[in-house]
Amino acid sequence: MLKRWILDFAYFLDTSKSYQKSKRFFYNILENDKYKYKKYLDLFMILLIFISVGVLIREVKYHVNDYLMYFSNYVISFIFFIEYILRWWVSSSMSKIIVARAEHDTFLHRDVQLSKAFLKILRIKLSYMFTVKALIDLFAILPFFHELRLLRIFILFRIFKLFRYAKSFQILSSVLATKKFEFLTLGLFATVVIFISSVLIYVMEGNNPNSPVSTLYEAVYWSIVTISTVGYGDIVPVSQEGRFVAILVITAGIAVLAFTTSLFVSAFTEKLDEIREVKTIEDVSKLKKFYLICGYEQVAREVARKLSASGNTIIVLDENLQRIEKAKKDGHTALNYNPGSVMSYEKLNIDMDKQVKSILCLRENDIENVYTALTIRSFNKNICILSLLISDSNRKKLDFAGINSIVYPQELVGLITKELVGKPVAFEVIHELRSENSDVQIDELGITQRIVDNFATVGELGNKDFRIVLLGIYKYKKDRFFFNPLDSMILEVGDYLLVIGYGIFILEFEKYLHTKVRDE
Amino acid sequence: MSKTTALIFGYNKYALEIMANVKDKYDVIKIFSLKEEEELFNAAVEVESFDLGDEWTEIDENVDIKTSIAFCILEDTAENIFLTISLRANFNDLRIIALASNKESANKLKMAGANKVIPLVETTSDIIANILEKPISSKVLHSILYEESALKIAQIKILNKSQFKDEDIMNIDWTRYNGILVLAVMHEDMKSEFIYSSRAKRHVIREGDILVVVGYEEDIKEFEKKIGSERYVNWSHWSW
Repeated sequence: MLKRWILDFAYFLDTSKSYQKSKRFFYNILENDKYKYKKYLDLFMILLIFISVGVLIREVKYHVNDYLMYFSNYVISFIFFIEYILRWWVSSSMSKIIVARAEHDTFLHRDVQLSKAFLKILRIKLSYMFTVKALIDLFAILPFFHELRLLRIFILFRIFKLFRYAKSFQILSSVLATKKFEFLTLGLFATVVIFISSVLIYVMEGNNPNSPVSTLYEAVYWSIVTISTVGYGDIVPVSQEGRFVAILVITAGIAVLAFTTSLFVSAFTEKLDEIREVKTIEDVSKLKKFYLICGYEQVAREVARKLSASGNTIIVLDENLQRIEKAKKDGHTALNYNPGSVMSYEKLNIDMDKQVKSILCLRENDIENVYTALTIRSFNKNICILSLLISDSNRKKLDFAGINSIVYPQELVGLITKELVGKPVAFEVIHELRSENSDVQIDELGITQRIVDNFATVGELGNKDFRIVLLGIYKYKKDRFFFNPLDSMILEVGDYLLVIGYGIFILEFEKYLHTKVRDE
Repeated sequence: MSKTTALIFGYNKYALEIMANVKDKYDVIKIFSLKEEEELFNAAVEVESFDLGDEWTEIDENVDIKTSIAFCILEDTAENIFLTISLRANFNDLRIIALASNKESANKLKMAGANKVIPLVETTSDIIANILEKPISSKVLHSILYEESALKIAQIKILNKSQFKDEDIMNIDWTRYNGILVLAVMHEDMKSEFIYSSRAKRHVIREGDILVVVGYEEDIKEFEKKIGSERYVNWSHWSW
């Protein structure tokens, strides 16, 4: 009966959407670094840690406010306790283990052996509880029993909890973890040296009434102080034999110190690129809007320069390290990722639809551009993709890959020459309008509700007062461009005015459109 | 009347594209390549072989330089610059358009005497940046310039009989005249000025000025008739 009840309950939990949803929420907020609200909880926890430590320090010599003591001892401990239980809960799924066991046994036509499932649960949960992080969490709760004075020192374990919340600490420990074997060897070497030198100094000086080394503990203390090259000087060998031991320990100490330093340096040097990459990805995921450029060759370089000059953020992906270095030198955020791999975009941890303005496939190679476009289309159908086309015979392939805009430089050359031989002055004028360095520009001004409230028709705009030519209006609802519109044309929200004029006057005109209050 | 000739130096993908786009405007189109004649035997169009050390006597004798145009589109930048400079050294009146891979070689080609340089990378990136940042204007300008749209851009020369001759530019509402928009005016110093620029404002329209206008074909024709002017293309008026 109980077994049936437990099984039903496990199945219920395993299939309950609300239970899974809440568990996922707690998992995200406690463990998932990519979850955007996690940082707020981390900051809150860090604040609690500093309050606890502050109270501990203050309490040494002064009286601490009773409420603050209560908060530090009980409230904070209780919050940490809740956190510990939640982490324990989300570390693994008990219901899943029971359900898996039930399915397994049912499949083999056997009675469901819940005991095995419980054993597995016990093993998994215990292995979690004995991880360093979980132990620190547990010790951090102990100051709850503050009446036991010794337990108060466990407040310091709360400091260790900072490792959980500060990402740089995690990076530091992961870097050092890569040199686990070397550190272990170093530790063993240092232990052996300390052990031998402690025994030697104790043997040499233990019976000497003039020597400060009278116990083995003092000998160990002297060894550690000497090998670490700190050398306080409170305990010094007085006999010739003792001094000889000191020479050996000092020599070994230099080796230990040099070895430790080189270990740290090499660990960080090896991991430096990875650390930078993690930081870059973190920065990218925080960006609001940016252009993603896949492939950084000549055209891409120039496009990136132009777009960033007009205030846009550029992210460059390229599998070629040299090109990535060039992009970084040009001041862009660049990642040495293959744009043709879905993994690259997964690693980026971005919301394509919300964060990316457009993806530009600018490799000067149609095969690479098609491959990249197809990769992106395999997981996102909506994002706008623009691509270079190098050979016209590949145009259909680019279309088929789902590219929205295609730019074909060869065709451009033909069209430009056609205009150049036909209307050179007119061409120059239009070319000037498009050029980024020109004083006279063509610009698009969006019509907002505020503008419509103040300017009902084209005639009311008064663009001539700002020395601006109104080339036309793009009517959003009709998806049509009206050249040189009549004064009576009604303005609607979503329309765009296409204006030509000096950049500074266009800015003034735009400001005027947004600030003017209709005359009554 | 002598035949107008387009000389295309360099047989590559751009040569064919240029040929297709200028064939309506020139009577003769000649393509030259640095390759040996045997190598050009299977070319899709007639291609002549040339050498950078040529004296250009054949061109000098057979082509009316004043009505001709040369396109320097050799793939090797150094060769393209050398070609431009040798054409300019021999033919002072020849209009030369050169293709450059980037801004640096564009500057050198200008120094070598090209009338107009198309920096490929810059032009392509300009187009891409405009498509992304100003999609509507990009579409409109592209259709005005390159496509067979009803909206056209034209250059109109002010003639002696023009009603605007000797009129102060400030006194005319250029921007909304008979359905057309006047964007710029180019006067005798060969510099085009935006219609609302300070210099243009003080300008008195003279015979020979060129107006750059945008409008529908019919309106432009009407405008030409009304102001007693005509569409005009003259490369000698084109300067940097």
